[in-house]
Amino acid sequence: MSLNFYRRVAFGLSPHEKPDKDPLNWAINQLDIIPDLLWPGTIPTEKDLRKKYGEWVYGDREVLRKKFKNDKHAYRKAKDELRIKTGERYFELNEHAIRHFQTKYSKQPVFERFWLFWGNHFAISEKDFLAEFSTGPYQREIIRPNMVKTFEEMVQSVTTSWCMIHHLDNSESFGPNSKKGMEWGETINENHARELLELHTVSPNAGYTQEDVIQLAYIMTGWAHKWDRKNLETGDIWFDQEMHQKGDKVVLGVKYKNDAKRELAKVIHDLATHPICIKFVSTKLCRHFITDEPTDEMINPVIDAWNKSNGSLIEIHKAVITQAYKYNEITHKFHPPEIWLMQLSRMFDLNIPLSFEKMNYTFKIKPNNRQRQLSWILREIGHSPYRAKQPNGWSDLEVDWVSPELLLRRFWFASVELPMLVKSGNRSHGFILSCLKNNFEEHENMASLIDNFRFGTSDYDLGQKYGVICNLPGVLKI
Amino acid sequence: MNCTRRNFLIGGSTTLILSGYFPKISFASMLKKNLIIISLRGGMDGLTAVPVIGDKRLKKLRKKLILEDVLNLNSDFGLHPKLEIFHKLWQKNQAAIVHATNIPYTGRSHFDGQNLMETGAHIPYKEKTGWLGRGLLASNIIGKGLAISLPMPLLLRGVPQNNNFFPSPDFVETKLIDQIYNEFKGEHNELIKSTLDTIRQRPLSMQIATDSDDRKKLALEAAKQLKDQSGPRVAVFDLDGFDTHAAQGGVDGAHADELEEVNKIVTILHENLGQAFDNTLILTLTEFGRTIKQNGGYGTEHGYGSAILMAGGLLKKSQVYTDWPGLKKKELFEGRDLNSTIDSRAVYNSAMSVCFNQDPEFLRKEVFWGDELPDLSQDLFKI
Repeated sequence: MSLNFYRRVAFGLSPHEKPDKDPLNWAINQLDIIPDLLWPGTIPTEKDLRKKYGEWVYGDREVLRKKFKNDKHAYRKAKDELRIKTGERYFELNEHAIRHFQTKYSKQPVFERFWLFWGNHFAISEKDFLAEFSTGPYQREIIRPNMVKTFEEMVQSVTTSWCMIHHLDNSESFGPNSKKGMEWGETINENHARELLELHTVSPNAGYTQEDVIQLAYIMTGWAHKWDRKNLETGDIWFDQEMHQKGDKVVLGVKYKNDAKRELAKVIHDLATHPICIKFVSTKLCRHFITDEPTDEMINPVIDAWNKSNGSLIEIHKAVITQAYKYNEITHKFHPPEIWLMQLSRMFDLNIPLSFEKMNYTFKIKPNNRQRQLSWILREIGHSPYRAKQPNGWSDLEVDWVSPELLLRRFWFASVELPMLVKSGNRSHGFILSCLKNNFEEHENMASLIDNFRFGTSDYDLGQKYGVICNLPGVLKI
Repeated sequence: MNCTRRNFLIGGSTTLILSGYFPKISFASMLKKNLIIISLRGGMDGLTAVPVIGDKRLKKLRKKLILEDVLNLNSDFGLHPKLEIFHKLWQKNQAAIVHATNIPYTGRSHFDGQNLMETGAHIPYKEKTGWLGRGLLASNIIGKGLAISLPMPLLLRGVPQNNNFFPSPDFVETKLIDQIYNEFKGEHNELIKSTLDTIRQRPLSMQIATDSDDRKKLALEAAKQLKDQSGPRVAVFDLDGFDTHAAQGGVDGAHADELEEVNKIVTILHENLGQAFDNTLILTLTEFGRTIKQNGGYGTEHGYGSAILMAGGLLKKSQVYTDWPGLKKKELFEGRDLNSTIDSRAVYNSAMSVCFNQDPEFLRKEVFWGDELPDLSQDLFKI
């Protein structure tokens, strides 16, 4: 088995790890339990961060905008102070550190790859202040605990999470015949229902109609945040019967009797166990780990495992890994910038993220450049993980990641920035060679390409070397 | 780092010669036409950019947002004083406005609205390609799109081989790319290899550029590329910050700052396109306009109808093209927003037909699913 399997399903091997005698077992054994988050610094709860979100929007919208309505300069200044006080510019940096630390040091890196996958399948795209406060904790508290449950349970948790409901506007969806709908003349907002069908479960392959979207939106009405004057839109999620559309509903030919809050669990059960959903999500998993255009032959064993286990994610993950292993030598897969960065960080033991002591935040001055470094790099290489542009998340296709600037950004990072992230004990040529040997079958060829610089240890020399080896075809792709 | 740069320059020029980069000779009769779209994200306030003159109701509803010193366009409309270049070009029949226009979207969500302004569709997120990308593909113009942003904007998706320009904080030595170029072998590496080809064939100015925070530099480079007969035919700029819920101000407020950015880009394009400006159309694009009435924070909320700012030598004449709906309460959309009486997609469809030498009927079917979009090219553009 080629060493590239460790990058196909994980992040490569760190200088302290050696290839396993049985790579398939090594990978499969990582999927049964949820590894602890290793970040030694603060890991705030979703609820705490939502409270900060509330302080920020209340302070800006209800206080500052009114107070400084005549003075844009004073308004900007007061707003910047509020940012500092509420951590509006800080928490996302901390979340990136938590995430990167995990992929770098986890003893179950294969599990972590699935974590990234599901966080992107149920993506929260850039909207309002979700990236600043809520997307990170959503990944930790909603996605992660469900990874040892069933797919259906994952969909249930995601669909009723504050983050997804806010993201897709379900709090603004009123049953037109509900009490509040009638009183206020409001109607449904279809966003969440449409994405639940299109992106999260059955996909357009199921052939649903606009009427199905509307009917599902009716079922979902009432699942909203509690609103009050102080917390605004950041209140907890509950089921508001007064927003809920009365009467029976029909989605994809199945009738759901008028049953208030219980309707949603029933329809999610049917969607999450729908054969087309199973095929759609299995294909997506194979696309992520095997190749852009997976064949039925690759996908079918995953579908079988899904059906046999009633959608147990542990079993599904194991089947995906088994297929990835089986096809490792004959398929290629391009890795998007963030995974590439995580792999480089693990393989070459780079000095990111910043130590947790230095990531500490006082809420008195704005985050410094070092605290911003990792997030800045992610943005500059074009893959700030919690800022996907659309609810379908980041693409898994090579064609979406290969543009002139996006490639140049990788060359730039490896040749200019990366040398500054090399730890002082790792600057020798021998260190690079040993990392290459640990991770690449073709390490001798790679070494020959940087041989001219074998005596150099300056940032410039390291830039020449890393610029080349990090962007070789076998590194950008496996 | 002088040494680096010199090495790089040597490497760079060698590459250019080896890869056969020679600008093609241009003939007046074959001059290409450029279409430049500037996305104004956040909701551009058409009534701040192009205020209606002497409307008592507007004055009453916007006491704190009233503009002094507007530039006169005609007896009905003025121009925000920060939009100087448009005023200057207006005198030469090279600037025009479409007013009370928007995409057919009334939902007031940035999120959905920006998706629809780029896809040109009716349902958010349903389409995965942009109207400009589909227009290029339908016109068989491949590899001629230039995005001035890091990700490829949705607007341009749907046609392969677009270029983008948004340089990293420091430049990349060309010899680095040359060094590994030949390592990309085999069919599965073809896409990366052909993209590396595009990079290697870039003009020197594009290769040594750094710092995409400098909008001026970006616009300058875009102008250079668009001027080149063999260069791109379409460019897309992205601006945000138009969502001024507070302290929107008048002449000098938060919205004015954003209009100043638009003015800057168009000024640079105009100065540097030279003759090519005569064969260019620049159009703005936004997701919605803003409410008529100022809010408690002396800003405005998300609205509906807005305006399209246009510049370039392909305009028919200076005009405010509008079917003005009026600002009386019953004339407003839902009693609060400037209405939209022109589907802005008709303007974009007509602009594409002019710049891509295509029948507007054909484009309407290929790009906008045959939606009812009148051909405005005779009214707005030189054909």
